[in-house]
Amino acid sequence: MSGQLINQIFLQVMTGLQLGAIYVLIALGLTLIFGTLGVVNFAHGALFMLGAYFAVNIASAMGFGWAIFLVPLILFAFGIAMERGLMRFFYDRPHTDQILVTFGLAIVIQETLKWIFGANNIPFATPSWGSGIVRMHEYLPFLEGFVAYPKWRLILIGVSFVTVFGIFALLQFTRFGLIIRAGMRDPDMMRFLGVNISRRFTIVFGLGALIAGIAGVFGGPVTQVDPEIGMGLLVPSFLVVVIGGMGSIPGAVLAGFLLGMTLSFSAEYAAIQNIIIYLVAVVVLLVRPRGLFGQKGLME
Amino acid sequence: MSKSSNYLMPIFIFTAIVLTMPFWFPFLGGYEGLDTKILIWAIFALGFDLLLGYTGYLSFGHAAFFGISAYVTGLMLLHFSSNIIPAMIASVIVTLIIAFLIGLLTLKRSGIYFSILTLAFAEMFHSAALSMFQDWTGGDNGLTGIPTPMLFGLKMQEMTVYYFVAIIAIALFYLAIRISRSPFGIMLRAIKSNQHRLEFTGVNVFKYKVFAFVISAFYATIAGSLMVIYEPYVASEFLDWSTSGHLVIMSVLGGVGTLFGPMIGAAFMLYFENVLSVPLGEQWLLVLGIIFMLIVIFLPGGFVDGARKLKRKLTAKENS
Repeated sequence: MSGQLINQIFLQVMTGLQLGAIYVLIALGLTLIFGTLGVVNFAHGALFMLGAYFAVNIASAMGFGWAIFLVPLILFAFGIAMERGLMRFFYDRPHTDQILVTFGLAIVIQETLKWIFGANNIPFATPSWGSGIVRMHEYLPFLEGFVAYPKWRLILIGVSFVTVFGIFALLQFTRFGLIIRAGMRDPDMMRFLGVNISRRFTIVFGLGALIAGIAGVFGGPVTQVDPEIGMGLLVPSFLVVVIGGMGSIPGAVLAGFLLGMTLSFSAEYAAIQNIIIYLVAVVVLLVRPRGLFGQKGLME
Repeated sequence: MSKSSNYLMPIFIFTAIVLTMPFWFPFLGGYEGLDTKILIWAIFALGFDLLLGYTGYLSFGHAAFFGISAYVTGLMLLHFSSNIIPAMIASVIVTLIIAFLIGLLTLKRSGIYFSILTLAFAEMFHSAALSMFQDWTGGDNGLTGIPTPMLFGLKMQEMTVYYFVAIIAIALFYLAIRISRSPFGIMLRAIKSNQHRLEFTGVNVFKYKVFAFVISAFYATIAGSLMVIYEPYVASEFLDWSTSGHLVIMSVLGGVGTLFGPMIGAAFMLYFENVLSVPLGEQWLLVLGIIFMLIVIFLPGGFVDGARKLKRKLTAKENS
């Protein structure tokens, strides 16, 4: 293989990882909330957008470091408030009602942001420590000649991986995670055992929103910060969750990067690039109706 | 409930409202032709109710049928003939074939999966119209340059187009009532309340669901086609998720499963968007979103259910 080809494939893999990173971050929160509370959150794209708007304003007023620290916390609080103030009244109602109320909330958030900040894209500059490019060929010997990649996108990929492993570790290796996993299997049994599973599920909802906040801070400079971006990202993120299998975290991660790669490698064929993610979704769901890692009996 | 007596009353009321609308509607404000637009959206919402209200399937992808039908109608008027009859026939054929295929693929799943899948399919067509078929659809600019639609020698303008839409709306309302009160309609309600139980009795549930889906797409098709006849222009927004979203909002506001409700919701929403948005300014959609949330939370049956409850309360007071 010629060096040019290797370089090109490498760059497309990086782009795929970077696109996938945002999908994974948003889908991770969606699937976490779905897997625990059974709620399909149509407002999750709006939560991402809320995170991006908070980030751009906090970053310009107080500096980017504060945005990284504060935005996930604000979104965590927002998630808790949303679950306690709204969603918990919907657990006993049909699933379509949950979709409708979160859809309504998405519109309210979107229109409020449009009202306050206007309909135009707000420029979101990366901080000085994250700007510029990284000369990849200096670190990776198999690349030939000069290969550079934007530093911020590498950071985004890194943050995505760290978040995924953080959530994985939290669920797999802590007592909190053990209770959550047991609660996902059988919440009633946990209640009989005297565990306050509802309170822990509330925290999980907050965590889902927190991840959307992380996605907003680190993804905002890459995507855009305008009032349409929430819904624009929600549809592909839903596809990621559905392809991966609803409620499955490994599924969401795998499907997110799969979709990113598909988008990246089809970029040369602009005509089909826009519809290829839908075609992938259709094929996966025809072959495996529950998605890649879907569990039997969940939301059948 | 006796069947036949219940038939005529709603149709009579609907016909009376629709035929007299051009005389009283201008007093409520709004621009000329808003009444036509309301009727078109009412047709759209009526078909949607047969799917959501009766069968219990929440589609987030009805923009696909509305938009595809609008594009086919526009292209036929532009390239074939300015007569609307061949254009409408072509749009019905094309859209129903697509609806049938989407129905086969999406109705295998229910609940949330169905909503997400229909949304994905609609977005696929939206993306395709903006990229793959850009030369045909005009991309972001929409399809322009459509000649004035003609019904044989009759120019489809102003009152002519209103009464054309009105006659179709009355016919489709009659059809919807017939469907809702037929054995088929009862099957759909049975699917909504418990489709597994229905399946165990040996009914081919899937067949009924696909049929309901296609009927509902047929209403969307007619609405999309009429939209182009009313205003000879196809906007790419017709295929956008927000079209499906507006349809969902108006249906829920009015009250699903009542046939009348979603049409009232359509009228309310368009009136809100075009008349009440003047004092509210840019924030009209925010206010509407809040109203929508309040309705979903406190009055899931919508306006119609609210009116029913109010009536019951008033009569209860009189009796005591």
